[in-house]
Amino acid sequence: MVGKEPGIRRGLGSYFRLLGAFGRFSLNREMAFRGNFLMKVLLEVVWLGILLLFFHTIFRNTSRIEGWNEYQYLFFLGCYYALEGLIETLFLENCVEFGELVRTGNLDFFLLKPIDEQFLLSFRHIDWSTAPKILIGGALMGFGLWKLGEPVTAVRVAGFLVALISGIAMAYSFLLILASTAIWMVRNQSLMELWWLFSSLMRYPRDIYEEPWAVLIQKVFTFLLPALLVVSVPAEAMVRMLEPAILVWTVCAGVLMLLASRWIFRKAIRSYRSASS
Amino acid sequence: MSSVPSLPAFRTPGAWGAARKYLRIFRVSLVERLAYRADFLLGTVLRFLPLVTSVLLWSAVYRGSGSDTIEGYTRSQVIAYLLLVHVSRMFSSMPGLASGIAREIREGTVKRYLVQPLDLQAHLLAYRAAHKVAYIVTSAVPYAILFWLMGGYFDWPGDPLVWVAWLASLLLGFLLGYLMEFSLGLLGFWFLEISSFLYLVNTVSFFLSGHLMPLDLFGGRMAMFLKELPFQYLAYFPASVILGRESHESIARGLLVECGWCLALFILGRLALRFGLRRFSAFGG
Repeated sequence: MVGKEPGIRRGLGSYFRLLGAFGRFSLNREMAFRGNFLMKVLLEVVWLGILLLFFHTIFRNTSRIEGWNEYQYLFFLGCYYALEGLIETLFLENCVEFGELVRTGNLDFFLLKPIDEQFLLSFRHIDWSTAPKILIGGALMGFGLWKLGEPVTAVRVAGFLVALISGIAMAYSFLLILASTAIWMVRNQSLMELWWLFSSLMRYPRDIYEEPWAVLIQKVFTFLLPALLVVSVPAEAMVRMLEPAILVWTVCAGVLMLLASRWIFRKAIRSYRSASS
Repeated sequence: MSSVPSLPAFRTPGAWGAARKYLRIFRVSLVERLAYRADFLLGTVLRFLPLVTSVLLWSAVYRGSGSDTIEGYTRSQVIAYLLLVHVSRMFSSMPGLASGIAREIREGTVKRYLVQPLDLQAHLLAYRAAHKVAYIVTSAVPYAILFWLMGGYFDWPGDPLVWVAWLASLLLGFLLGYLMEFSLGLLGFWFLEISSFLYLVNTVSFFLSGHLMPLDLFGGRMAMFLKELPFQYLAYFPASVILGRESHESIARGLLVECGWCLALFILGRLALRFGLRRFSAFGG
């Protein structure tokens, strides 16, 4: 049976130090394959180019998308790119590799450590090649705000940050649930596909789902699997009118998903532990 | 399930023997593919959700534009295009082909092509053809339902020649897609790790092939430039043909140029294979 030593408690400080160590170690590893690293950064630049070209083409032909004007939409785009970058930097690689760890049995090695398994398995590799996206997205958001010229109040900033953190929590929880299912299912190629699906749902403002025939889809992805809230709500908090009720629901959804994903993860680990002996 | 079928000794050499050999590989690969039906049906259904998102987005764009057409496309045409591009990609996408070849080179299993009377290019073509047939047959029902649901967006051309041309462009798209990915995979003979490069090429191809939106929508010179590249035949060209947006002359020219690209890539593939295998056997034992 794979177990843990009892009586070892970690303070919060040591978790932050570990995170720093993970970051340094990942960076060293990344720099050992510099050509590959540059190729990956180039990939993200190309992806940004595609997004911006798409944005430019749309706004050449229209002045508003469901009430979002050009610079509000640019802010949304920056928010999407930054958030996608954050998730890819911190979590995506780890969740994809989780399936491999289960298959090869190397997961045992990680379960032996005297540290919370979810923390270890979620943060152990930092993908530095996607980290620039966070800065670039931030720059796009800043540019959009500057062009809009409206005052940025503390209330808006607070709403934005709260909604953003909730959005990150939701996206992370989704990935964690997907990764956990690797313990029960043999084939796990669909994780990247499902992540692509989730990210394609969060790529556009949720206002576009207002069509009568799309109501069911809007309800499902707002209340059941809140993919539509992840980027849209933070962006709305900053540059548009946001009903407080939606912000409250976004925070609740974030918390609920974190709890649900942790429960599913622990259940998966328990069933893994009881299977191997 | 055994992965490598054992080939009986063929006593009929030459073209006929070769054809029978590859036909057998085709049959075996087809059976293997159909075993993963359920897993793949789910994937097909999930693949349609981004299409719904695109329909909603473009509806919002047209509403905001205040005009019926953008670069000559009506809203219905753009939405029809996005669905038709799925059909084009059904024929021309080759998931895992290039990375599979690179892996075989890296792991050395490509050496069996040096000893067995088996040609890598033809072998994988038969394999992929089988996969495609299985994929298309099993996707037929979901796609039929989707086309029926979205029937209102379509204005099918009456000219039977256009339909024939569409089929031709889809089949050529399959061949072109295969030859492109095959050539990319052969880079494995010269570079150890090409997976990041493949991601880059795939992302660029996604954009250049018109998968994201009709190439015409980029306007003027940009659109003209994009239509000179071979990538447009993977998604944009077949969709444009069946939308009735191409004249007979431009269809004929397009198909001819596409054949030219196929020929060029075929030759590139054969040369790369010859030089690559030579280089490989220089290293191997």
